[in-house]
Amino acid sequence: MPQTEKAQTENSSRDQILQRIRAGLRTAVLEPAATGSDRVIFEPIKNPLERFQQECVANLMECALTANSAVSARQLAEVLQSLPEGEIFVQDHPSLRRLVEMAALGRAIRWSNQGAPGEASQATVTLAEALIAQTGSILVTASCGGRGASVIAPCHIVFAKIAQLVPDLATALSRVSQEQMLEHNSFACVISGSSRTADIEKILVQGAHGPRRLVVILQTGT
Amino acid sequence: MKGKVSLFVPCFVDQLLPEVAVDTVKVLRRIGCAVEFPEDQTCCGQPAFNTGYWNDARPCAEHFVRVFKHADVVVCPSGSCVTMIRTFYPELLAASSLREDAIALASRTFEFSEFLVKVAAVTQVGATFPHAVTYHASCHGLRELHLRDQPLQLLRQVNGLTLIEMARCEECCGFGGTFAAKFSDISAAMGNSKAESVAATGAEFVTAIDPSCLLHLQGILGKRQAPTRTIHLASILAQESPQKSRAQEQL
Amino acid sequence: MSQTAAQRFLQDAAVKSADLMHREVIQRGMDSYDAAHLKGRARIKDWEAARQKCQEIKREAINHLDRYLLQFEEKVIARGGHVFWAANSEEACTYVKNLATRLGVRTVVKSKSMVTEEIHLSPALEKAGIKVWETDLGEFIVQLREEPPYHIVTPAMHLNRGQIAKLFREKLDPKIDSEDPVDLMAAARRVLRQAFFAAEMGISGANFLVADAGVIAISTNEGNGRLCTSVPRIHVVVTGIEKVIPRLEDLAVLWPVLATSGTGQGITTYGTLIGGPRLSGEVDGPEEFHVVLVDNGRSQLLADAEQREVLHCIRCGACLNICPVFRHVGGHTYGTTYPGPIGSVLTPHLNSIKEFKHLSYASSLCGACTSVCPVKIDLHHHLLQNRRNATEAGATKSSERLMFRAWRHAMLHPRIYAVGGWSMRKALRIVYGLGLAGSILDPMRVWNRYRSPVPLPSESFRARWRKDRAAN
Repeated sequence: MPQTEKAQTENSSRDQILQRIRAGLRTAVLEPAATGSDRVIFEPIKNPLERFQQECVANLMECALTANSAVSARQLAEVLQSLPEGEIFVQDHPSLRRLVEMAALGRAIRWSNQGAPGEASQATVTLAEALIAQTGSILVTASCGGRGASVIAPCHIVFAKIAQLVPDLATALSRVSQEQMLEHNSFACVISGSSRTADIEKILVQGAHGPRRLVVILQTGT
Repeated sequence: MKGKVSLFVPCFVDQLLPEVAVDTVKVLRRIGCAVEFPEDQTCCGQPAFNTGYWNDARPCAEHFVRVFKHADVVVCPSGSCVTMIRTFYPELLAASSLREDAIALASRTFEFSEFLVKVAAVTQVGATFPHAVTYHASCHGLRELHLRDQPLQLLRQVNGLTLIEMARCEECCGFGGTFAAKFSDISAAMGNSKAESVAATGAEFVTAIDPSCLLHLQGILGKRQAPTRTIHLASILAQESPQKSRAQEQL
Repeated sequence: MSQTAAQRFLQDAAVKSADLMHREVIQRGMDSYDAAHLKGRARIKDWEAARQKCQEIKREAINHLDRYLLQFEEKVIARGGHVFWAANSEEACTYVKNLATRLGVRTVVKSKSMVTEEIHLSPALEKAGIKVWETDLGEFIVQLREEPPYHIVTPAMHLNRGQIAKLFREKLDPKIDSEDPVDLMAAARRVLRQAFFAAEMGISGANFLVADAGVIAISTNEGNGRLCTSVPRIHVVVTGIEKVIPRLEDLAVLWPVLATSGTGQGITTYGTLIGGPRLSGEVDGPEEFHVVLVDNGRSQLLADAEQREVLHCIRCGACLNICPVFRHVGGHTYGTTYPGPIGSVLTPHLNSIKEFKHLSYASSLCGACTSVCPVKIDLHHHLLQNRRNATEAGATKSSERLMFRAWRHAMLHPRIYAVGGWSMRKALRIVYGLGLAGSILDPMRVWNRYRSPVPLPSESFRARWRKDRAAN
């Protein structure tokens, strides 16, 4: 876009700031950082699945283990039945198309190729890029139904397979880099629970501007 | 015989709380140290240093280094003053001809409880103090000299003493040197919060290793007409059984 | 005649120090934080190793700040984003304002950003006729009250639910009859929902700028930051240049440490990474992405080798939480964007040392801040250095300078010191003996205002020592 180049050349402070930074850094000898890299900061995760489930409880997330796709479909139907009437938004992906079909929901579905979820959506259903045991997190990107899919509706349901579970944040972030997820996506998010606030008297309130419920359907078999 | 100790007495202890120094000498002698007091000492320079007047603090620091240059070991009943020597003298005197002497002196300067436990390796000093006592963890001793356990180890060996833990014992009492004068409202508010923590223990005495904290708390508690009295750790340790202490009047 | 910042501070501090109700509210908030923080710390096996690692990451970033900023910029631009380097507040505000007016923006939704407070962005936009909605609940509340945030992480911690309910009744909806935080949040959500979907521009801050991936990282809990950066068609990030970190993997330790220090959580609910506007094929997202890199004195601080590490700050708020001065005077008393220990250290560099040096003196130098800082900034020693800088810049009172000159003279001459000490005790004994404690004749009247008088022994230690030596 020509706009970009024009804007850059109009930004005269850019060079001034860079010059000041370089001059500033010259005023002292830069001590090399001591490396204490052999010290273990986080306890290694021995049982990722168990840890993930524990963290889900602490994060006020729901985690349902399912043996196969039939059970997953039933689980999805059950969760959606507990929600008010109205359309649900689903990420357009073959595995979710299959799941929704098996679940026979009898609800209006807005697929992601029809646009982002809106206020009418009672829930969103998406895949994830990974699950993280250490913090009880799901990693999503723009490919998982877009940015709004994990924040707009009051309930966000994630469908994941056990193979997607990684032990810790370091592994998850490393995977983001290795798979170049941020080259192919403008957005990624590590989500560790339902939205919340403690801004009033430091009292925890679940369900602030984002979803009040975050449900993970974790399928262990095929 | 535990060797010769040179006594460093903070200026305000010298002038306002001399018994702290007297009791420090008593305890050091009791454990077998010979104590000398270099009479040319004045002040470590902390008041000027802390207020930003490093150019005024520097000559005082140099004077101090000269006075104690030949000491084997320097002991002082004040965490903040020892912090000045150990933590700040090397920086303050970085460009001075006495820089090396200062660094060497810093390595053999100790706070009183630190000296007893870490250098002389004693925790039992034959003290008797049958009272309920609570401990305030003075900031310099705690965070600059990293003395967390040593004073408590000594207190636990005192015959008859009941040690009561204070809530928020590591929160600053609010003295802070010139801070007490420049921001007296905040200083007093912090002191009163500390006084409330002290009162909640129900202890008869509150003790610490920093006489400046105790001076401030004594004033706050006095204004509140609170029953708890302040007493320096050295004064607790100096107390022997009633019969013995009556015989001790001289230094 | 207008007050100086120092005079205002003393006045506000006096009022707040005596306000026992205020102290109780803050104490309760801090007790809650302390408990949560301890739990958070227990989740990290080696806390000291974590601090060490975070310090190393930030040191590497700051030591090569130009390189990492350029790496970040290149990647953002390659993805279709814009990067604007603003030398100061005015340039940053002008850029955002011009962008907004050019693109026909009428409404802005904002997620929490201390830098936007620092540059006074909201007033600048509002002057241009643009409505700005603070969407973080705490910020939303203080915006309605027309006051600045009280704390950099929990902006409304000084208020109780009753006050907030009353505020909402007056400003939002007179039918609000509940004081339950759940209901109050729901009320805020209802109002702000409309703003999210109506706004043309969302403004956010950034906790970190990740150089190798070319993304911004935002740590939030409420979801408002997510909505601000997903729904409106323009996303503007306003951030300080010092927020850079070298690698995405650095977040594996920075995210948990920031959350632990900030709120006691193991990690915040949302760790968002954004690298540009929506890519083609993506379901949604802003069409435009702008990052405003704000200098505003930071490059100057970089040149101060002694204090450069102050730029390592990750704005977690831990130093505020533990500071006994903060606990007694509260966040508003400081009168600066950044309160607490980090504010006292930083503000003279962003503003002027003359005007804000008093903050470096408003501390007992207890060192608690330094002991909790997750990136190991030597905060209380920097306060000392600011004091030294202030005297060297001639920014202190001449009466004080003279006083220390006299003090020095006495301390270099043991006899003068001894006589001076004796005279002082003697004089005080006379003053108190005449019942004049606390009067204008009492040199210790500041002390005596809040404390009973200091003891006045008849003999100094050295006099006693000399006497006992002579007797033996």
